[in-house]
Amino acid sequence: MAKRALLAVMLLISSVTHAQTGTVDEDGFTHPLRNLEFNPGLDQREFERATFDALNIYDPWESLNRRMYYFNYRLDQFVMLPAVRGYRYVTPKIVRTGVSNFFDNLGEIPTLFNSIAQLKGERAMTTTARLLFNTILGVGGVWDPATRMGLPRYNEDFGQTLGFYGVPHGPYLILPALGPSNLRDTAGQAVDFGVERQVDYFSYAEASGGEFGLTALRLIDIRHTTPLRYGQLNSPFEYEKVRYVYTRARELQIEE
Amino acid sequence: MRLLLCLSALLALVVTPAHAADISVEQYGYPLSNPFEATIATTPAPFRADLPEDDDIDQADYSLRLRPEREFTLPDNFWAVKRLTYRLAKQPGPAPLMFIISGTGASYSAGKTESLKRLFYGAGYHVVQLSSPTSFDFIAAASRYATPGYSPGDAKDLYRVMQAVRAQQHELPVTEFNLVGYSLGALNAAFVSKLDETRQSFNFKRVLMINPPVNLYTSISNLDKLVQTQVDAIDSTTTFYEVVLEKLTRYYRQQGTINLDEAMLFDFQQSALRLTDEQMAMLIGSVFRFSAADIAFTSDLINRRGLIVPPKYPIDEGTSLEPFFRRALLCDFDCYITEQLIPMWRAQQDGGSMAQLVQQVSLYALEDYMRNSPKIAVMHNADDIILGAGDLGFLRRTFGDRMTLYPRGGHCGNLTYRVNAHDMLEFFRG
Repeated sequence: MAKRALLAVMLLISSVTHAQTGTVDEDGFTHPLRNLEFNPGLDQREFERATFDALNIYDPWESLNRRMYYFNYRLDQFVMLPAVRGYRYVTPKIVRTGVSNFFDNLGEIPTLFNSIAQLKGERAMTTTARLLFNTILGVGGVWDPATRMGLPRYNEDFGQTLGFYGVPHGPYLILPALGPSNLRDTAGQAVDFGVERQVDYFSYAEASGGEFGLTALRLIDIRHTTPLRYGQLNSPFEYEKVRYVYTRARELQIEE
Repeated sequence: MRLLLCLSALLALVVTPAHAADISVEQYGYPLSNPFEATIATTPAPFRADLPEDDDIDQADYSLRLRPEREFTLPDNFWAVKRLTYRLAKQPGPAPLMFIISGTGASYSAGKTESLKRLFYGAGYHVVQLSSPTSFDFIAAASRYATPGYSPGDAKDLYRVMQAVRAQQHELPVTEFNLVGYSLGALNAAFVSKLDETRQSFNFKRVLMINPPVNLYTSISNLDKLVQTQVDAIDSTTTFYEVVLEKLTRYYRQQGTINLDEAMLFDFQQSALRLTDEQMAMLIGSVFRFSAADIAFTSDLINRRGLIVPPKYPIDEGTSLEPFFRRALLCDFDCYITEQLIPMWRAQQDGGSMAQLVQQVSLYALEDYMRNSPKIAVMHNADDIILGAGDLGFLRRTFGDRMTLYPRGGHCGNLTYRVNAHDMLEFFRG
């Protein structure tokens, strides 16, 4: 597999080596900026214009959102991350993968529901097949044979379904513990949660309703599989940057 | 005219031997010939050195309380950067220690710093990852004047941090100290090494500079200029970001599914939707403009200069920083230097010109030291976008055979390429 990938890369490279048109000087320097076309006055304001435009996101509850953002930051640092560290310490990797697969498999139910709601037939079928294979062959979803069979995992939630039917995203909203969202996606999350409990596959919902432990494990698993960290952007304007990325990423998810 | 020709022929003869030591493109084998692509996409996975996984590294983050007064002077919403965090990866037994200094605006956990950590940890070093003196957390938590860019001052700040790390980790069995930096971190490393000659806390065995700026002003001018490239397809309704995102989305639709990683970027650049050099330059320039905005804002806020934030403006966790972000975004590196760094430096030094400042903060200030210190070496790329004419010549004259020049790689695009990885380990082993 790796060998084939390497070959493919080699082929690709040989097809693009023409791109280089450097003029090497006596020091061996190729002057990479010399071939660029610059705006003659060097007074183009495109960076500023594009960035200012990206900052225009409807956020009427900004003050509250910011406080919630910092609350989540602290919660993450002092509760969630230590819990994840403990989880990683006490469980071997194979168990963690099994746990992630199990909850991913549960997550196929809202995906199926929302693929149907958006009339995405192929996605609905793939997701049904995944559910069946992983539940039966993968022993309740602990293993993920479907991915190895070439069935990709999709993610559709009710927020995307609403967006698909033209519901605007509404005000930006930071949810306690859950992080960035907006009014539409928050409503979507509530519906997906309801669907999961209604279907009550494996009587997981019933069990987790009774057992605090399962819900806690799910939360820890979500944190464990999310590589993002607060403060990772290392910028005083992290709030604005996250807001843009979240909003834009959701738009792209709805489009696809 | 004939004389000139003869002279240049003679010059070519004199210069050629230096080239002979350089690595040719074929010998080197690095796949990306376009410096902008290399800078953005770095090394394609099959060409990377084998590095250990996170699960195999015994590492943790620690924090230092270096500037207690900032706990009172910084607004509440900066609580996370009132202490300076660094990352330490420990070997089980006694081992040499490697300090890594990150590049412009980068934190200790930046991708390139992480890659270097993996490389040196895999080779048996304890590794300490440090944020750049120009990064938000470092300016707020560790910088004495909170106005980065004056290299000798930044080196003093870094040195204090390194001493504090050593004190906090006093039980760690260290056999010897080494230092490596990339990009601006490489320039910082040279100044730190110079400082260590007199302060002698570490007596570094070896110091490696990877892709340093030579003349700091040339480098920041290059970076500021990158957002001035002519990019087409933008108009009053479509901004530059929209153009790039649109291309990525169309690519995504064609492919059905993609993973957003370096391999994807590489494949994307082979497709018909590929970004032009101008667009890539604009992207790289934009990243640096965001760094410049962070520096300008943080430095202004801490020093209460009133250029971006009014000095007595009340800020708490609920305060919108967006108006200040907008102001800071208008300030590029040149603006930061003119408005903040030079006035402060001039006040501290009783005057001085821009030319003097450039001399003091660039590698020129260390020319003699670097020439006579066999423990320092430099690695650079012939197509690095932060360099100007004559910079490589300066490095050649100063370092002689302690300089390795790679024919490709853009700015730090080849850090994890196996040839570079091998050369880095060899230098520290030797």
